[in-house]
Amino acid sequence: MNTKTAVRLTRQLRHPLPLQRTTIISRRQVVPSSTSSYHSYDHPTPPPYSDTAKSILSASLNHIPEHGFTRKSLSLGAKDAGYLSISTNLFPQGAFDLILYYLATSRLKLQDSVHGRDGHEQQWASGKIDVKERVKTLVFDRLRFNKESGVIKRWPEALAVMAQPTYVPQSFAELSRLADDIYFLAGDTSVDTTWYTKRASLAAIYAAAEVYQTQDQSAQNADTRVFVDSRFKELESAQTGVSSVAEWVGYTTHSFINVLRSKGAQI
Amino acid sequence: MQSSSQKPLSLAQQEFLDRALRVNQAGELAAVLIYDAQTPPIVRQNPQLKDLMKHMYDQEANHFQTFNELVAKHRIRPTLMYPVWRVAATALGWSTAVMGREAAMACTEAVETEIGEHYNRQVQTLFKWAQDVEAKGGQVSGEMKELLGTLRRIRDEELEHLDHAVENDAKEARPYEALTGVIRTGCRAAIWISERV
Repeated sequence: MNTKTAVRLTRQLRHPLPLQRTTIISRRQVVPSSTSSYHSYDHPTPPPYSDTAKSILSASLNHIPEHGFTRKSLSLGAKDAGYLSISTNLFPQGAFDLILYYLATSRLKLQDSVHGRDGHEQQWASGKIDVKERVKTLVFDRLRFNKESGVIKRWPEALAVMAQPTYVPQSFAELSRLADDIYFLAGDTSVDTTWYTKRASLAAIYAAAEVYQTQDQSAQNADTRVFVDSRFKELESAQTGVSSVAEWVGYTTHSFINVLRSKGAQI
Repeated sequence: MQSSSQKPLSLAQQEFLDRALRVNQAGELAAVLIYDAQTPPIVRQNPQLKDLMKHMYDQEANHFQTFNELVAKHRIRPTLMYPVWRVAATALGWSTAVMGREAAMACTEAVETEIGEHYNRQVQTLFKWAQDVEAKGGQVSGEMKELLGTLRRIRDEELEHLDHAVENDAKEARPYEALTGVIRTGCRAAIWISERV
């Protein structure tokens, strides 16, 4: 090894990648509640964010259209909420905490769009609208929140942050929670393997629709609606295909066993 | 809306209930499929058992429906092993039925013993929670009371099936120890896996 290489290596050893210096006092302070668990009706759920965190983050949302999902939005939000801009140290993941907050609050807004005033609940109570239609309605609602809050023009940056390997598990968890919430609010009660397949396919459709929405220039996001409709149609034909095959296999097996029994086989 | 006089459930309690209801749903799925697979061979050889098999099947179907509703209502993730348990339970029911009436009853006895103990532990835990709440001067929530009542009823019905199985010569099965040993170990493994996966 020559001198130049030795010097270069030594410099690298003396200046390693900076370690995360921020101490996470309580992840629960900034991170929404953990993955799905028993949902109680008589026992309240503790709020996912502390009051301080909530006031800073909600104030920061207003700055997103101009400054994007950045620490700048967070510090402007902290100032608006009456805290020092250093208070953004409350969020060790910086911009990603703001993204998570936006995702969590938009997801919870779906509850209002169903159960709140002028919610879908009244229309759905008649029982004429099936679960698939309700799911589609909720997907459209959630996409509409992106546009109404002005976040959609900054969303590609957010997607880039969410795609970072450190943040992928949390982003994925939020997407799973969204799919679960949508199916729950739509009144789906399936609890077998389709629980998984439905949520996985909905998460995929929603993620694709959101990416599509970032470049959609049509009025009222009409093109995105068409995109979502086509995805749901594809899903439906795939589901019909799979269930037909499964039905055929089941029928053939039963018939075979019954024929053997009729021939006297002791099975 | 939610009653705010109740305290939030601790993470440990939520995790316990999450696991408990997931396993119970998986257990009742297996029970329904075992009886479904056992009934045709058994009833063919022993027509006198038709009513008993139907009675036990109906009760298990009722349990299965109860837990399906609870899992959907409380937004619990069902077990990923669902298709695996379907195949395993059907295979277990069919193979013990083909071995004979005593083997089928021994299978029922083994499964119901494990399940009965399992439900009993859950009832004890929930009962202890209720006692803790009352000791602190609080009131047990309607949700917990209902859950406790449901688990008690289902535990009692499972133990009733255990008695029926023993009455119908479960202990006469050969090889008794091997058969019940394997089935009980399998049940315990399935319970452990379903709690987590």
